[in-house]
Amino acid sequence: MIASALALAAAVAVAGALFARRVLLLGRLVRMARPPGIDRTDDVPDRVRAEAVVVLGQRKLLQRLVPGLMHAFIFWAFIVLFPAIFIAMIEIVAPDSAPQWGWYDALSDAFCVLALIGVATAFYIRKVLRPRRFAGSHLGEADLILAWIAAIVTTLLLLHATDARVFAWAHVLLILGFLAYLPHSKHLHIATAAINVYFGRTRARGRLEPLRFDEDAPEEDLRFGIGSVKDLTWKQMMDAFSCTECGRCQDACPAYATGKVLSPKLVVMGVRDHLFAEGPKALAAGEEYDGPAVASHGQLEEMVWDCVTCGACVQACPVNIEQIDHIVDLRRHLVMVESRFPAEAEPMLRDVERQGNPWGKPQAERAGWAEGLDVRVLEPGDPVPEYLYWVGCAASYDERAREGARSTAKLLLAAGVDFAILGPLEACTGDPARRMGNEFVFQAYAEQNVETLNETGVTKIVASCPHCFNTLANEYPDFGGRYEVVHHTELLAELVRDGRLSPAKGEQEITYHDSCYLARHNDVRAEPRELAAAVGTPVEMDRREERTFCCGAGGAHMWMEENAGAINEERVREAAATGAGTLAVACPFCTVMLDDGVRSRGDDLRVVDLATLLAEATDT
Amino acid sequence: MTALVFVEHVGGVVDELSLQALTFARGYDDDVEAVAFGGTPAVTGVGTLHVAEIDGYAPQAWARAIASLAPTTVVAAGTDRGNEVLAHAAAMTGGVFAANVVRADGDAVTRQRWGGSLLEEARLHGDVKLMTVAPHAVAIEEAAGEPAVQPFAPELEEADLVARVVERVDTSTGGLSLAEAPVVVSGGRGVGSAEGFASLEELAGMLGGVVGCSRAVTMAGWRPHTDQVGQTGTKISPDLYIPCGISGATQHMAGCKGAKKLLAINSDPEAPIMATADYAVIGDVLEIVPAITAELRRVRA
Repeated sequence: MIASALALAAAVAVAGALFARRVLLLGRLVRMARPPGIDRTDDVPDRVRAEAVVVLGQRKLLQRLVPGLMHAFIFWAFIVLFPAIFIAMIEIVAPDSAPQWGWYDALSDAFCVLALIGVATAFYIRKVLRPRRFAGSHLGEADLILAWIAAIVTTLLLLHATDARVFAWAHVLLILGFLAYLPHSKHLHIATAAINVYFGRTRARGRLEPLRFDEDAPEEDLRFGIGSVKDLTWKQMMDAFSCTECGRCQDACPAYATGKVLSPKLVVMGVRDHLFAEGPKALAAGEEYDGPAVASHGQLEEMVWDCVTCGACVQACPVNIEQIDHIVDLRRHLVMVESRFPAEAEPMLRDVERQGNPWGKPQAERAGWAEGLDVRVLEPGDPVPEYLYWVGCAASYDERAREGARSTAKLLLAAGVDFAILGPLEACTGDPARRMGNEFVFQAYAEQNVETLNETGVTKIVASCPHCFNTLANEYPDFGGRYEVVHHTELLAELVRDGRLSPAKGEQEITYHDSCYLARHNDVRAEPRELAAAVGTPVEMDRREERTFCCGAGGAHMWMEENAGAINEERVREAAATGAGTLAVACPFCTVMLDDGVRSRGDDLRVVDLATLLAEATDT
Repeated sequence: MTALVFVEHVGGVVDELSLQALTFARGYDDDVEAVAFGGTPAVTGVGTLHVAEIDGYAPQAWARAIASLAPTTVVAAGTDRGNEVLAHAAAMTGGVFAANVVRADGDAVTRQRWGGSLLEEARLHGDVKLMTVAPHAVAIEEAAGEPAVQPFAPELEEADLVARVVERVDTSTGGLSLAEAPVVVSGGRGVGSAEGFASLEELAGMLGGVVGCSRAVTMAGWRPHTDQVGQTGTKISPDLYIPCGISGATQHMAGCKGAKKLLAINSDPEAPIMATADYAVIGDVLEIVPAITAELRRVRA
């Protein structure tokens, strides 16, 4: 007995030491990390709920039923079987005092079987189905881990069946080996995923982390995105530790789907590999560290420019990795420190900076779209309207997008809504500059626009552009601008519901394309559908609501070139396949991108803003 | 008080915008001095002309030299260079800098914002005031009087010379560039195919111009991206722009707003491009363009 106890103690000590050595390194890395730009400890009830839903309930995994159940079986077995480790240890040291819980043995046997079904399914997926999402993942490592899990549960089943101590030993040694191996592998997520989920965004998912470079910023907060490994935030490090390379993000990514270099999975893996390669050096060198830029790792620099910030990856990730934060932070460093970015975006950045809109149009023509309509242009000192209509640059200047703004204004006038526009006082929100990585220009506009808005005294804003909507609602609070912001589809749906607008329902089949910044980043999904149903017969696409597929314009891509397949054409292909004659949108960028896609594909499809459909069906 | 004007010149010939800046400075202050680098420009109507031999392109070093003269007011032309040098000088002197000023009186300045679409009234608080003058905001007024030329050798820090000219490379590729061509004939999706561009090439050749295209054409692979006119391509400013089968998306129009005359050829009279076109021909590009070249040939024969 004593020999067994000593042997077990030695095994535990060795495994524990190997585990602890690695975990201490991880801990030192996290302590070196920078603080994230947003508070990740507030909203405790929401964070606890995320633990229950995302971790225990496996909800994000179960977005895909079979792989989700496969994982849930193994995960739940892991929880249920946890006490079995200690029971098996007691079996080794003092078999007589081991607890004899028949019910627990039966329960754990059942979960062992579930785990084995899970492992078998995993092998079936990996070896037979071989989905594309695993391209670039470490497949051998996954096989080893799965086999290891199978061995762990099999030895437990055998222990229960035979009571032979050899199986207790085998079970315990396999687990101790697993413990030592775990933090050196991508399976580290067992230890970090729950932590990562806890610190993920709970609300305002479209909000980017602001950088601080004002004069009052404490030295340790001063940061220009991700330069070297020392610029990673601890959340970004936790993201890197939590990635299991499952590839759900890669599968959802519109850039990857259209043949771009970008894979959000490879971005996170690249950050992780760079962190493990450079992190120890940075720890050793301390202040003296002068290592390479994270962006220089592999193809990271090339990849980050393909991103449309649609958030499909973040939505898909079962462990709440926030890929957009990595990508935007890498862009920030490239733009603000190294001044290295795709040349075609330069005119946009310059025009936003100097002219207040991304096309360099005269500011004086901003209200030109409203010509002939009785729209009030707000002047300083005017009475405060109930709603400020924030038109945005695209709907102000772009010929095709203007129609949506005109329709919205007509409807608001018809319904007797008290609203006004800022006209020449409205400027770009800064969104394209921010998502391109130019945080300087964004913050200058944020401060200027917040000042303008606060001077008018408005409290409620209706926005046409989901990108403006997101910035106004989620990002301007960081700069002192707090407003109740709605999207025009929300306000129009409310007016229809209240009977203030009475559209005539038509025959047309309408397929509605969800804008990423509405449906995914801001949960506006029902109201646009209400409008579509009010004027015609809705037909849904497969990729819809929070799983929508980008039009290709987000993340400043409205002003960049496609360097492989065209995202807009891919989306139009899906829309055309529904057979509907009308492709309804709720975003000026989507309007332009999808209309371009229809033209280049030659489909017989009308791309039109929901506001215009509603205006056509309403007697305005 | 003295206003010091940073004068840009090429081989001693003062840049027109710097002459405007000198006129501006004389209206602002009774006592005006000038400073120039890499030669002695033919400046008149200033008391003293400070010259230092810092050649080539060295904005930070020039700014250091300007700062070493301990000025209280510095004026320059609102060129990229003027703005750059004065930004450096403002940082070095701890002064306040207003760019693209159109009027100034003591502390009060009126300056252009947003590419000239707004005017801002501002006040300059600070011991050292720096201003660049918005191009063409002031009409040049000649002033007589040869200045006393005062050579000086400012003390430079090594860091002041980080930006310097290493090599000069001619960017012209021999032929006429899209950005500089006096005539541009562009094709859009309406041209129908890569082959369809042959007639546009011919027309451009006869008019002494070059061929451009829209983004749709580049996306379709009919023409290289270097031919693309637009926001994400080349920005052009020809005397005559002939977009053929181009609807006039915002992204395209952002690239050709510098064109002096615009002749649109398009089958759709409702196309957005019609709103900006000076002349328009409604019809199929593949019929209209050959008809124009045939007529040109007949007239010239």
